[in-house]
Amino acid sequence: MNLPVQLLWLIPALPLVAAGIGALTPRGGRPIAAGAAIAALIGSFILSCLALKTALVDPAAHLTANFSWFDLGTGTFRLGWLLDPLNAFMCVMVTFVGTLIFIFSLGYMKEDANFTRFFCFLSLFAAAMLGIVVANSLLLLFVSWELVGLASYLLIGFWFHKPEAAAAAKKAFITTRIGDLGLLLGMLWLYDRTGTLLFFDNGAGCLEAGALAGLSSATLCSGLAVSTAIGLLIFCGAVGKSGQFPLHVWLPDAMEGPTPVSALIHAATMVAAGVFLVARVYPLMSADQALTNVPLHALTVVAAIGAITALMGAVIAVAQNDIKRVLAFSTVSQLGYMMLALGVGSWVAAIFHLLTHAFFKALLFLGAGSVIHAAHHEQDIRQLGGLGPKLKVTFATFAVGMLALAGFPFLFSGFWSKEAILHAAEGWEVSHLPLIAGLIAVVLTAFYMTRLVSETFFGHGRSHASEHAHESPAVMTVPLAILAACSVLIGFVGTPAWPWLQSQLTGEPVHPHGWFEGAGLMMLSILLVAFGIGAGLAIYARRTRVTASQRDPIEAKAPSLFAFLGARMKLDELYAATVGKVNSALAVVSDGLDRYVWAGIVNFLGRLGEFAGVVYREADEEGLNGGFDTGSETLREAGKVYSRSQTGDAHAYLRALAVGFVVLVLVITLGGLR
Amino acid sequence: MNLDYAGLFRALAPETAIVVGALAVLGVDLTLLRGRSLATRMNVAALISALSVLVAFMLNGTCPCGRCWVGASGPVFGGALMFDSLANATRGGILGLVLLTIGVSTGARINRNPAEYLSILLFATVGFLLMAAAQQLLVAFLSLELASLSLYILAGFDKTRPDSAEAGLKYFLFGGMSAAFLLFGFSLLYGLTGSIELNHVADGLRHQGISPLLIVALVMVIVAFGFKAAAAPFHLWAPDAYQGAPTPSAALIASASKLAGIVFFARLLWSGLGFSAGNVSYAFTSVGWLPIVAVLSGVSMFVGNLAALAQTNVRRLLAYSAISHAGILLLGLIAVSRNGTSPIFYYATTYGIATAGAFGVIGVLERQGGCDSISDLAGLYRRSPLLAGCLMVFILSLAGVPPLAGFFGKFYVFAATLKLAGLAGVAGWLTILAILFSAVALYYYMVVLKQALVVAPAKDATPVRVPIAAAVTLVLAAIAIVAFGIWPSVLLGAV
Repeated sequence: MNLPVQLLWLIPALPLVAAGIGALTPRGGRPIAAGAAIAALIGSFILSCLALKTALVDPAAHLTANFSWFDLGTGTFRLGWLLDPLNAFMCVMVTFVGTLIFIFSLGYMKEDANFTRFFCFLSLFAAAMLGIVVANSLLLLFVSWELVGLASYLLIGFWFHKPEAAAAAKKAFITTRIGDLGLLLGMLWLYDRTGTLLFFDNGAGCLEAGALAGLSSATLCSGLAVSTAIGLLIFCGAVGKSGQFPLHVWLPDAMEGPTPVSALIHAATMVAAGVFLVARVYPLMSADQALTNVPLHALTVVAAIGAITALMGAVIAVAQNDIKRVLAFSTVSQLGYMMLALGVGSWVAAIFHLLTHAFFKALLFLGAGSVIHAAHHEQDIRQLGGLGPKLKVTFATFAVGMLALAGFPFLFSGFWSKEAILHAAEGWEVSHLPLIAGLIAVVLTAFYMTRLVSETFFGHGRSHASEHAHESPAVMTVPLAILAACSVLIGFVGTPAWPWLQSQLTGEPVHPHGWFEGAGLMMLSILLVAFGIGAGLAIYARRTRVTASQRDPIEAKAPSLFAFLGARMKLDELYAATVGKVNSALAVVSDGLDRYVWAGIVNFLGRLGEFAGVVYREADEEGLNGGFDTGSETLREAGKVYSRSQTGDAHAYLRALAVGFVVLVLVITLGGLR
Repeated sequence: MNLDYAGLFRALAPETAIVVGALAVLGVDLTLLRGRSLATRMNVAALISALSVLVAFMLNGTCPCGRCWVGASGPVFGGALMFDSLANATRGGILGLVLLTIGVSTGARINRNPAEYLSILLFATVGFLLMAAAQQLLVAFLSLELASLSLYILAGFDKTRPDSAEAGLKYFLFGGMSAAFLLFGFSLLYGLTGSIELNHVADGLRHQGISPLLIVALVMVIVAFGFKAAAAPFHLWAPDAYQGAPTPSAALIASASKLAGIVFFARLLWSGLGFSAGNVSYAFTSVGWLPIVAVLSGVSMFVGNLAALAQTNVRRLLAYSAISHAGILLLGLIAVSRNGTSPIFYYATTYGIATAGAFGVIGVLERQGGCDSISDLAGLYRRSPLLAGCLMVFILSLAGVPPLAGFFGKFYVFAATLKLAGLAGVAGWLTILAILFSAVALYYYMVVLKQALVVAPAKDATPVRVPIAAAVTLVLAAIAIVAFGIWPSVLLGAV
């Protein structure tokens, strides 16, 4: 059974209906809201699997179902759905991970008073995310994109009574909106240039050869190809959504939301939307690659941003003490890897890493959620410790996630996808700096994840909360186990020996390049991982922390560096001091203008109007109104006079009929004589 | 003449269903329901009637498959009847309005002979259905008379009330006179053209100029039309009949009868007498029946709207509102040459629903204490929110407030008239007059609504109990008003 592309809209529609049901369910209807949300997402998952089957029949084809939305002048504005292996894989991933996270939330949010609202928002989010994935129009994608932003805002600020959560929600929304501005401009420019926002439209779409040739051949005064400029503007949106430097600041703060939200939105799916967007418009982004006389290629910028983000996220993660913040910065770093892969020309590697990362990062966040749930909402790793024996399932699955993220060789999916990225970076002709940044980040990733696991699970409990922790219920641990299994298995669909995923994504057979091609790089990265894990174990596991207030070993060696990293390189402060200050100053100026200049003018006009009103009123009451009253009175009188003539006398009526006949004959005859 | 009786039977399957239904109503009442309570007899009679109307509705129209044993299209029985899209749509509309009237009658004051009442109502329906398709002067006259005679009985049916008898008598006297005019007019037309087929009449008139005899014939036909449509100055029966007749009769006279009449005369005037229509698109009119219709239209709007301002009785107010709406319908008739019959069909149908619905609300109120004066509606929103809500929809639709169907009816008629020649001629001026009078009309409709929705109920007022069948009917009618306003193409496209 296959899913025809015309029915693809069902995939986002089901969660949207569930969101509607959730919104209408009163607070007491917990089973209804949660049941609708989970059932809808399972339905979408099944449909996604069918869609994947459809897409894999001919992987190179882009199946579309376009329809007219409205007519604009002589033209028609069209939207549509798209089905190819890229978004089919995304659909399956989003619905599968989403379902597990929804189920996990049943346990995690059990005691929350706004349980139904939570599931309503989760479903809304899933619908919007799936909308991004299946859209065949940049506008439809943008609409869903903004809905994802809205759902993210609602979910981060779900505990809005906490000031930090409210602030974090606002920050996430505003920061990503800055990127979205670029996306909007890029979209408008693209429409201006190509006259369509459909990606694929039987040769007339904006990602197809005809439009791209026009875009890359035109140049701006700075020498940039138009396609480069549009691509970079669209990339701005991806930078905001995917937490890339310099707009990554919202992502760690977003950890104020409930942990399932962090797992779903800020690890597995929403932040991946940026990567997906770039992969989706990859033909546009890479349209300028053939040009040699341009100062800048769009993908070079993407690679640079990705490398910076990958390295910076990993460095900052070393000095974080909140279990979710460590994971948040690791997400920033891993998203940097994906962008790096896109930038160096291997969007397939980026999507491979996106898929594997979605599984193991969801696993890690849910594991962290299980820890937090067990330890009575204690998130500071200095306060935890010794949880390994108490939370056996959580520990085992978390360890799998950690090894996958660290890129532990051969067995874990993260290793294969990271290798694919490093291999692609090695082959990039422009520069090897991204490769070096990636390799350094490999060490750091292994190191900070080892630190996180050691601090959380080894040693002794360092607080009341961690000493009295209990394993979470099965509704939470079973999703962890499933995700752990996937984190291992998913890697094997894209190994160099059997690159099935790569060949399906591109639609071309990729020849397995044996174990030994690129083996040098692979050996190097295995060594680096071993070094990172070894260093982590040496520093944190050999002598575990005794008290919560004890200083971190690195902090003891280099206090100022640790503090700098702990404060996230002071980037928030930098933004507050620059952009924030400028913004505040502008606000003050605007306020002054508004208050004194515009208000003065408006008030003057108001007074003028008031004066005119007085004049009018006098004129009106005396002249017009009186006249109107008289007119109305006359009308009523006329009616009365007339109805007095309705006597009720039947003879008179029949006489009137005869008179009417004669009069009409006269009328017509006189008319004829004229 | 090719007389195809099988074809005639196929075409008249709806009429057959209704006649069978009428006989069944009588038979069941006389045999099975002897000694039962009036309410039971009323409900059973209404049920059977409604079923027969529904069956007729299903048998109406042309089946697309072409092999069915019902349905017809084109001329039938040697051209005596014409089943074009206008006829089929009108027959459907008539059946819908009759169904509405039957529903209204379940909520109104129960008379002593419910079965007789409803069977006569069904016979009237047969008359309406034939009127919608009549293409021959004799069939036309007979169907008109079948409908009219039934309506006279229905108007005077409530023998216990002098009002009702007076209404029936006046309606009958007036109707009889106008029928005489019509028959005289028809005989003159026959004399002029030598045929009673509308097509042959048209052919015969094509080459004749306007003769005094033709003028007399035209005016006689129009007089009868003016009576049927309650257009001034032939409207004098309307206020008394509307006031005195039983509520369902008044609803039927104002809705289905009006729709059938306007389509009947549209067909007669345009396809039979179209060559002597004359012209009113420009300031200087040319001789024909159009100038007379224009005069009637203008006078009706004047008389209807002004007299309605002075009314204190709800039914009389609705009667004068009917007269003013007749003015607009005649305006629509003028514009048939430009935009076809779909605007007047839409207007007459939606007006019929709204006015029959309003009569239905009044009928329910009358059953429980009476509703003579407008002030008897006071506090309806407290006594029965359902009735108040439905009444609001009907009255606002009559007043032509968007997005209800009444607004679009006016809109399409005005648009069609203005397309004739803009404001260059009589038709355009009449349109402006109609728009101005719409503002006047809003006043008297608001007076009704103010009583129903704003004024507090009287101290001794009790909640109104609405019979379930009537409640369902009224709510469906209100929904239809809203739905036809939102999707006007459902009706517009039917013609």
